[in-house]
Amino acid sequence: MLDYLVSAFSPLNIVLALLGVAAGTVIGSIPGLTATMAVAVLVPITFSMAPESALILLGAIYTGAIYGGAYAAILLNTPGTPSAIGTTFDGYPMAKRGDGDLAVSIACLSSVAGGLVGALALLLLAPPLAEAALAFGPVEYFWLAIFGLSLIAALSTGDFLKGMIGAAFGLLLATIGISETSAEVRFTFGSNTLLGGIEIVSALIGLYCIPVLINLVATPDRHLDAPAETTGFRLPEAFAVMLRNKFNLVRSSVIGTLVGALPGAGGSIAGLVAYSEARRTGRDAPPYGEGNPGGIVATESANNATVGGGFIPTLVLGIPGTPPDAVILGALLVQGVRTGPSLFSDGSNIVYTFIFGLFLATILMLPVGLLIGRFAYGAISRAPKAALVPVVAFMTVIGAFAIRNSLADVGIMIILGVVGWLATRRGFSVSPIVLGLILGRIAEQGFVQSWTIGSAIGNVWAQFFGRPLSMVIIALTLLSFLYPFMPQLRVYLARRNGTAPAKETAPRAPGRAIGLELVALGVFAAIALLVIVQSTTLNPEAAVFPRTVAIGMLALCALAVALTLRTGRATLPGEMQGMARRATVPVAMLVAVALIPVLGFMVGGLLMAAVLMLAAQHERLSAAGWAALAAGVGLTVALFTVGFRSALSVPLPTGALF
Amino acid sequence: MFRTTIAALAVSLIGAAAQAQDFPSGAVDYVIPFGPGGESDITARFQQPFFKDKFGEDLVVSYKPGGGGAVGWSQLNSMPGDGSAIMGVNLPHIIVKPKQGNVGFQTEDIVTVHMFHYTPDAIVVTADSPYQTLDDLIADAKANPRAVTLSGSGKGTANHLAQVIFDELAGIETTYVSFQGTGASTTANLGEQVKAQWGYTTVGAAQGDKVRMLAVAMEERHPAFPDVPTFRELGYDMVSGAYRGVAVPKSTPEEIRQQVAEAISEINADPEFQKKMLDGGFALVNLPYGPELDAFMAEKTEEYLAAAESAGVLN
Repeated sequence: MLDYLVSAFSPLNIVLALLGVAAGTVIGSIPGLTATMAVAVLVPITFSMAPESALILLGAIYTGAIYGGAYAAILLNTPGTPSAIGTTFDGYPMAKRGDGDLAVSIACLSSVAGGLVGALALLLLAPPLAEAALAFGPVEYFWLAIFGLSLIAALSTGDFLKGMIGAAFGLLLATIGISETSAEVRFTFGSNTLLGGIEIVSALIGLYCIPVLINLVATPDRHLDAPAETTGFRLPEAFAVMLRNKFNLVRSSVIGTLVGALPGAGGSIAGLVAYSEARRTGRDAPPYGEGNPGGIVATESANNATVGGGFIPTLVLGIPGTPPDAVILGALLVQGVRTGPSLFSDGSNIVYTFIFGLFLATILMLPVGLLIGRFAYGAISRAPKAALVPVVAFMTVIGAFAIRNSLADVGIMIILGVVGWLATRRGFSVSPIVLGLILGRIAEQGFVQSWTIGSAIGNVWAQFFGRPLSMVIIALTLLSFLYPFMPQLRVYLARRNGTAPAKETAPRAPGRAIGLELVALGVFAAIALLVIVQSTTLNPEAAVFPRTVAIGMLALCALAVALTLRTGRATLPGEMQGMARRATVPVAMLVAVALIPVLGFMVGGLLMAAVLMLAAQHERLSAAGWAALAAGVGLTVALFTVGFRSALSVPLPTGALF
Repeated sequence: MFRTTIAALAVSLIGAAAQAQDFPSGAVDYVIPFGPGGESDITARFQQPFFKDKFGEDLVVSYKPGGGGAVGWSQLNSMPGDGSAIMGVNLPHIIVKPKQGNVGFQTEDIVTVHMFHYTPDAIVVTADSPYQTLDDLIADAKANPRAVTLSGSGKGTANHLAQVIFDELAGIETTYVSFQGTGASTTANLGEQVKAQWGYTTVGAAQGDKVRMLAVAMEERHPAFPDVPTFRELGYDMVSGAYRGVAVPKSTPEEIRQQVAEAISEINADPEFQKKMLDGGFALVNLPYGPELDAFMAEKTEEYLAAAESAGVLN
């Protein structure tokens, strides 16, 4: 073992790990640039390296990218990678109130801790954990997805019905395109761009980031509340938080490792499951979802634990645990390394050198991550809005493009952003929609496969409810769904016993609010109806899931309409201030997408940035001020374009100009 | 009008430039219409270093996944036709998909210039499965119609069509459970969620002692698995699998089509490349642009469409 340690810590490997972590962190922090892409771009470079050095470099990039996703999540409410979705729930509220630096430090400490737990499991428990992961069949994946959905109950406090409707909408969005289980084309309305379905990362960016941008330009207020003075890393405070959350940290890291070891689950689910558990057991103030640092601890430790966890099936079974693992697996095969159980049992030095390299990279992430995190916080909290809005908007465009090299994905991102903004104004939060979108495919595949297997063995019920592992997940799901209602239930019971004062009836909302509420519910009901009608033309395998969801959604809408009419409760209309400026954001972005094929990516991007600069600037500015602003924004756009083209080999359209 | 003129001008310029230069005249973008880690990605990665060695230019692998390949193929012809962009193609996908509905491309739209290997279909069971031979599986399926479940990658795919063809040949009825990709299908088999797997010889190579292949759909036994019989030896006439190759946009001139095909052939002829492929469980074929490839495509089209018809996956 000691030999491996020594060879892992060779000067070359230390340099590679350091570079890898730093590059990964930067890449992960840009919404749209995922760990998968970072690793895929670098694979050819590793061909000329020794296999273990190549693995260490790739593993370090992967680790860094998963952590880097936290920055945008905390500072811009936009998960840089899907693994960081849960980080937005508490990270952004913390940043809003001026604790962004603390949140970034907590994210770094949690990521390091989670990464170490994952790597330790990979070192000590890989073969047995891989065997255990095989016990997870289609039914268990189905129930795991439903468990993930149970977070809706917690995320939509105040309006559970709206959360459920939003989730159903997300589940339906996930069924657009060619179905993976039945090969049937669904809900594309004849459009070729929708054939491949809605790309999840670009949808995430749209739903989370575009509404933030739209709201940013409306007022001259600062983006984040700045703390009274710059307090640096706030490490003592961060350590105190970690200590308070030690059980949370360990539990989340273990959840991350286990979920990571399941091929077909991945970092986003690990983070969500860990968040859900942390929230259920968390007692301290402020509540989860309003800026409790425990939420960051849970998600960030869990998602970095999936790195080590995901390598377990990759190395032991030769089956990638997460998408970046799939790329790394390919690189290993080219290097002539055969994965499989023998890799561990032969005492082959590659594996152990690599695992120690992963430890090294994870530990290096502490200084690297803190430093880059501080820089990111400084840049985003101090940047004037007129610089922040165009640069972030451009990053969302280039990031959404780079995922599949597709401008159509950028268009879908912007449109979903507008949908998300409208939905939020009517009291439908975007998180349930995102959960539905992410978990929809896993849920549907698991459901159809279980149904097929259940029919073949002649007992569908036993297949869905009779397996011990499923029963455990079902129990946890019920607990998670019901838990947020415990306080209400207690009040209700107390009132029945006559020990509590009668409920005060809330005053009826103004007629206009009720009208808007009914319109919003009507739109969702219409979508459900459309799906039900369309699914009559599909084959039964392709139709069963969307139809079931749509029928449920229709029922929920009907229930919500009845409740609104009876109680008169409705979400009040939002601020109307700065509507013209707000509208500029999506319009300028969509126009840029239309112009890019003609004029080129950089020119289209610069035009968009110029318009957004004007829209975001409220005070009068001197000519010199404008010039400085324009130069800074223009340079950033140009650097990003050139960097994506040459360093990342992204085929950005050049059009007629550039 | 102005735009079309510009576009036409650009196309003719590019065309002229392309004719002046040989392939490859710079880095070549190799688009895989699937995600990373699958057979298409791995074989492209195998080719990558050989391409660089032989022709001195980078082969840049990128992914355009979605719709079981449809997203990539529907955009193939909008890529530059100067040899700077090539795309992976798969059979039966490009034959069966367009017949399942509007997937944004037709089989004829795709200019395949080379088919360089295939992954032969194989029935894979776990090492401790009660099925020792193909006959054991057939006997079980005869005694319990539809109760024998087999995992496989996707619907209307090589795995699925193999199941349909074999069920007809053997006179049995089995249940095919579709998973997303070979990785997920192998996981289900290893975890004994299903009784067997319609996989490829590559699964046997990757999983080693953990699995047993009952038969492979090749003309002769695979050199890496001398003990595994072919379906033909056992009396079932099937040679099938997923064939993979390289396509170029329609706008690519004839010379460059030829040159791309020659480049791929040259890599295919390299003994070191061949060894890597065979060790990985792949089987090489060498069908460069020309009449032989056309005849092969015509034959396969007929075969796959007939199987897809009886699988009930066509619209």
